[in-house]
Amino acid sequence: MGYSTILDILGSIIMGGLLMLILWRMNASATDNNFNYGAEVALQQNLTTVALILEHDFRKIGYCKDYNKIFDPSKSILYADSTSIKFLTDDKDNGNLDTMYYYLGPTSELTSTPNPRDRLLHRVINGQTHLEANLGVTKFRLVYFGALGDTLTLPIAHPGSISLIEIDLAVENPYAYNNEYSQAFWRQIRLAARNLKNR
Amino acid sequence: MVGKASLFLVLGFSLIFLVFGQKFSSLGNSAVDNMTNYYSESVAHDCAASGANLAANQLFLDPTWRTGFTNLSLNNGTINVAVNEIDPFQDIIQIVSTGTFNGITKKVTVTLKPSKFSKFAYFSVSEGDNIWWIGKDTVWGPFHTQDYMRVENHPVFMGKATTAKSLIYYTNKKSDEPHFFSTFEDGQDEPLPTDGLAPIKAAAQNNGFFQPLMNDTVVTGGNNGGGWGWNKHHHTTTTITPDTAYITFVNDSVQIKLGYDKTAHTYLTHTLAPNGAIYVEGMDVRLKGTVQGQYTVASDCNIYLDDDIVYKNNPNIINNNNTDLLGIVAQKNVIITDNKANHKDINIDAAIYTQGSFTAENYDNLPVCGNINLIGGITQNVRGPVGLFNYGGNISSGFAKRYAYDQRLMISSPPFFPGTGRFEIVSWLDE
Repeated sequence: MGYSTILDILGSIIMGGLLMLILWRMNASATDNNFNYGAEVALQQNLTTVALILEHDFRKIGYCKDYNKIFDPSKSILYADSTSIKFLTDDKDNGNLDTMYYYLGPTSELTSTPNPRDRLLHRVINGQTHLEANLGVTKFRLVYFGALGDTLTLPIAHPGSISLIEIDLAVENPYAYNNEYSQAFWRQIRLAARNLKNR
Repeated sequence: MVGKASLFLVLGFSLIFLVFGQKFSSLGNSAVDNMTNYYSESVAHDCAASGANLAANQLFLDPTWRTGFTNLSLNNGTINVAVNEIDPFQDIIQIVSTGTFNGITKKVTVTLKPSKFSKFAYFSVSEGDNIWWIGKDTVWGPFHTQDYMRVENHPVFMGKATTAKSLIYYTNKKSDEPHFFSTFEDGQDEPLPTDGLAPIKAAAQNNGFFQPLMNDTVVTGGNNGGGWGWNKHHHTTTTITPDTAYITFVNDSVQIKLGYDKTAHTYLTHTLAPNGAIYVEGMDVRLKGTVQGQYTVASDCNIYLDDDIVYKNNPNIINNNNTDLLGIVAQKNVIITDNKANHKDINIDAAIYTQGSFTAENYDNLPVCGNINLIGGITQNVRGPVGLFNYGGNISSGFAKRYAYDQRLMISSPPFFPGTGRFEIVSWLDE
């Protein structure tokens, strides 16, 4: 075996090694992208799912199929602050009045996921049926506006003065590749629950 | 050897990247699908809500409108609206609006019922020239005026407040802005009808109690010169028109007499007026007592409140057994009588409607009479005075107002109480 053969082998090994390094890097990059793409789709689905549920529930504030059970719908919001709200509604559209309570739990409540910022968004009906949405919610903020469009200051002493609600919602992936958590944000700028002010 | 291996390596990774590429493409499509679906749901809902709003507006313009809409086009979606009578007796109707966009259909269902003036805690056409709602004032239920809404030092409105005109601040918004604990809308026209009493009159004539103006023929004289014996040539026949009907509720009964010196007759109220409508024509009514049941007392003249007129069951206590409800409806004025009984507070449990004013007789010459303790609501053409205040804000003559709203009036009304002629939304369901 002459020098030229050794050089060929060495050259091949170097070239092959470089090719391998390139391919491994591409593979890692593809895996990273694959995870992030998948996570972002899941994140987006989580966001729209929560948004649709929130819109559905908040639009029904003050609604009851048997409207005689709510004397004054403008008093349907029982309690309101920046991260929680309790109101009267008819959850199952069966003519029975229900109380629905939304609140954002603390980060300490959700330690089972690597994301240090995600929390549980709680949805409690009649103080009993307790549903938790582990959809990577990191922010659930409510802003309230009065009859003249002015922002109501917290704490709100008279929830009946609420005419419009702004809902901010942010979600992140519970799990991430390289600790790169994707984030998505949704805002309902002015949600008017029609039953609140219809009489 | 190495060359072949490299070839296999490249081919292998190419295959893997093809799979990744296909996956990326699929994920991209899913993301777009997801966004499109949310967008489609939003647009479909907006279409349905718009259809409901369009139909509600049509009903506002024409309460008899039942046509609905078919295949209206909006924002590349379609709207179909049906208007259904779900309770012909109570005239309750329902708008069912469906919006369709990109294969997704959303529905909005709106229930409406005829709107009555009894729902107002306070209603006026004219607020007078220089009457202000001040910081001490609280209106506990729905409020409306066809006039300017003049406010000073943050008055409080617990219910929905509307005005046909606009707010006027005594000084500026910062120092006078009202506290609205429900909502406020300006530019809302809600005129007082001129024939508000007509439905009550018709109801009273049909299964209610209707008292027409009847001339009372009285024969006087006939005793000629002090001698005994009837002298048919000297007697006189006088026609007396009674100017007042006295109505006193006594729990489940009612006493009625036509004229001050006439005999009162007592009736079971539900027998006298089975449908609850009591209408006196051409005479003032003097009203007082304790009401059991649901009735509306109306007159095309004045109605005087001679003493307390209250429910048998206390309306302050919200319970299902409390069904007493009274409407006081006058074409002219509803007046608190200047008499001894009213010189120390008057208690009124009723929804009051007057095409004139709710006022106190001789309000400017009365002694200090205490409070008008009203549980109900007042609808009047011109805001009437009930007392005078001195510079210290204390009553110098007449009454102070202590008006509470009867929450039941939000959903029910005394029989045949005047309506606005329009519908109001009682429930709105987004599905």
